[in-house]
Amino acid sequence: MTARTVLRNEWRLLMADRALRIVLGLFAALLVYALANGVVWLRFQERTVEAVESGNGERTSALQQELDAIANGGQPSSPFADPRSPLVLGGPSGSHTAALEPGSLTALAVGQSDLLPYYYDVNIYTNESSFQQNGEVENPLNLMVGRFDLAFVVVYLLPLLVLALSFNVLSEEREQGTLALTLSQPVSARSVVAAKLAFRAFLVVGMVLAMSLLGVLATGGFDSPGRVLLWCAAVVTYSLFWFVLAAWVNTLRRSSAWNATVLVGAWLVLVVVLPAAINIAAGLLHPLPSRVEMITAQRDASNDAVNRRSELLARYLEDHPEMAEGVVADEPGLGALAWAATDAVNRRLEEVTSEHDARRADQIVLVRRYRFLSPALLAQDVLIDAAGTGDARFAHFQSQVRAFAEQWREFFVPAILADEQMTASVLPNVPKFRLADEEPGDATRRAAVPLTVLGGLVLLVGMGAGVGLGRVRGAD
Amino acid sequence: MIRHIVRKEFTDVVRDGRFRWCSVLVGSLLLISLGHGWVQARNAQQEHAAAQATAREHWETQGEKNPHSAAHYGIYAFKPRLALSFVDEGVDPYTGTSVWLEAHRQNDFLLRPAQDATAAQRIGALTAAQVLQHLVPLLIILLTFGALASERERGTLRQLLATGIGRRELAAGKALGISGALALLLVPAALVGAAALVVASPGPAASPLARGTVLAGVYLGYFTAFLALSLAVSAWARSARTALVILLAVWVVNGLVAPRVAVDLSKWLHPTPSAFEFARTVQSEMSTGVADISPPDRDASTQRLLAEYGVERVEDLPINAVGVYLQESEEFGNRIFDRNYGALWDTFERQGVVHEMLAVAAPLLAVRTLSMGLAGTDVEQHRHFATAAETYRRDLMRQMNGDMTENSLTGDFSYAAGAELWESVPPLQYAAPTLGWVLGNRILSLLVLGAWLAGAILAAVARVRRAEVG
Repeated sequence: MTARTVLRNEWRLLMADRALRIVLGLFAALLVYALANGVVWLRFQERTVEAVESGNGERTSALQQELDAIANGGQPSSPFADPRSPLVLGGPSGSHTAALEPGSLTALAVGQSDLLPYYYDVNIYTNESSFQQNGEVENPLNLMVGRFDLAFVVVYLLPLLVLALSFNVLSEEREQGTLALTLSQPVSARSVVAAKLAFRAFLVVGMVLAMSLLGVLATGGFDSPGRVLLWCAAVVTYSLFWFVLAAWVNTLRRSSAWNATVLVGAWLVLVVVLPAAINIAAGLLHPLPSRVEMITAQRDASNDAVNRRSELLARYLEDHPEMAEGVVADEPGLGALAWAATDAVNRRLEEVTSEHDARRADQIVLVRRYRFLSPALLAQDVLIDAAGTGDARFAHFQSQVRAFAEQWREFFVPAILADEQMTASVLPNVPKFRLADEEPGDATRRAAVPLTVLGGLVLLVGMGAGVGLGRVRGAD
Repeated sequence: MIRHIVRKEFTDVVRDGRFRWCSVLVGSLLLISLGHGWVQARNAQQEHAAAQATAREHWETQGEKNPHSAAHYGIYAFKPRLALSFVDEGVDPYTGTSVWLEAHRQNDFLLRPAQDATAAQRIGALTAAQVLQHLVPLLIILLTFGALASERERGTLRQLLATGIGRRELAAGKALGISGALALLLVPAALVGAAALVVASPGPAASPLARGTVLAGVYLGYFTAFLALSLAVSAWARSARTALVILLAVWVVNGLVAPRVAVDLSKWLHPTPSAFEFARTVQSEMSTGVADISPPDRDASTQRLLAEYGVERVEDLPINAVGVYLQESEEFGNRIFDRNYGALWDTFERQGVVHEMLAVAAPLLAVRTLSMGLAGTDVEQHRHFATAAETYRRDLMRQMNGDMTENSLTGDFSYAAGAELWESVPPLQYAAPTLGWVLGNRILSLLVLGAWLAGAILAAVARVRRAEVG
């Protein structure tokens, strides 16, 4: 009796069971629905990023036209928005929108991409409060519930299917009295169970991976094969965890009903209760600071700055000699004074935010430690990180936008301080945002520990199951 | 006889180690989440109240300036946390907490707490409402799936019926016994919640106790429906195991699958524009107008004033024509904002109706809608506050433009108003909607929940009557 015989036999049994066929069909339908949702969302984001990029071009060419017209003796469209002023050309009406391309596997996991902003308008007034903006227009109710995507199906529903398929993988044989018969063949209980589970794993994981790869293929996500591999690794490891758990429970020699109860209980605790309890604990022990004080601080700083503009300008010029070539501090233009006030507000905001962000980072390090208590949280984390829709990639994007805003200021501020007029000739030199996306290795590095822990769990429980199976005798 | 059944069932359940463990788990999660929610709600409310006071102070002490500069300076509004939000924080983490009320623009609410949290905190957030919506039904299932099915499997059902008790009494007795055991868990939690509300309400609300009572009623109806449904399945299923599998499947669909299916379905049926597209539409409509809404014509406005006051030159007007024009621009902008934001809110509302309709397949959706509504943390009540803040902004702008019109002349940019004007602006007083308003909005969910309750009880009665004995 070889593994092939077991596999063939299992296939026949499975196909003969109508309930199981229905369950598998239902699961396939859910996979399709989930993937369709992800693809729709990805397309939506792609279209938006495209519109954002073309908006940049349209703004530049409109400014170009207006500047050309003025150079030929025309009048600016509004005296308050003369594009020759660096405060206007570098300000909101000349701003450049920096956009983040959707993560390459967004179709598989929406993750945080519906909540966090993926494009920012950058101009000389961009400061820390500019990052406190809402993301996409989205019904708060939908944000609260979360999307029905493949990651959701994998983390929540796949374990249930695995358990439904394997809770009685050994106990059934015993209850039907076929165990002794099977083990009278030259085959060990270990290899029978291994073959049965391998068959089921092949079926379930195969379905999920096939659907994932189909999604990747349809949306061009193969540009980053590393992420695809990471996704597959997470799906496989997480599913295996539930298979070996089922195998181990089967070695306890209880009834099928008992196995089912225990396994469903394990699912409840690991997938539903623990993440919730962890969040309560995290909220109690490490509450996240609120941002409300930021508004007050910003207000205080700007009230203060407006009254002390000259003084602030003098200090600014001292601090930034590189920005201020050729500026006479004794007769500053209105633009220079206004900039000094703006800069002072920005500095104060940076202080408040960096204090806040430092506290937040501390809390998040602690909160993130708790996820090791729940395989579901670990898997979820790796899955959305692999998809490029996790918190880390958005943080990376934000830091790039911050650097770009600095570059933007470096371009315009010297002209503001020197009260210079700008012409169309500077337009080609205005900084443009070039996204330097995460290195492919970054997500892998972040996933290394969670995946290893998950893999370690699989090995541990798997070994427990192996030892238990070694003790199984036909006479049990 | 029924008394004995009730007592036997109650004692059985309370003595059962599994029930004790599960109850301790659910009970402590419930109490901890209530306490945690209360502390959080109170902190947030205090913080918002303090920020609101500072914002008012900033407004009053902004110094002498032109009213229009003051209008640009504006004021911040902070959304209050309502009293019952500690039971169900609803969509609050996903709506902004504050909005800047300034001249010419209706701004979005900013600072969503969820943006500061991690992805893991998002999937596992736990409030008292979630314990009540997800874990208590699970407990009910675990207690009830064997009520009739196990008796039948053990052969004791035949014995019981041989004593002459009616099937209906037997089932009712079991239901009452289990309810009694659950009451041990839920009544104290309800009392703790009520006490927290009476002794130290974490925030303002219209009739918090009435809202709380209806909220308790809604959950009671939900639990009763689950209990009846579980009894029906237990009476119908061939074995206790089958009953458990079916009920767990119901629980998974109710709590996990249906809510998420509703999200994507609602987005397919009622798509929202992208933030970029929305901002662009507002911007273009603001600059050129749309359909029958056209931007104010400054020259026409001036001519009208000249005719009205019977003077030849703008300088001779006894009022400031710029103030009049600014107010006309505000009125124009308001119509554009109403049109766009109104359409967006309406889309959200229609998406919400999709969630409510799917409650036909999953009662959780009806209960969740009602729970958030009563706690004052649903999308509609966010809109209610947003509307109040926007109305306040419009009144503020009208007052600033009016003062400028009345007290200065056209072309006079030196006019400066002072603290007297700033203080004459009434502070933002928000009145949360009444219970009647909330329930009026939620009739669909009330009906669906009622239908579930009636359907489950009827099913239980029918199944118990036809239950096989052995």
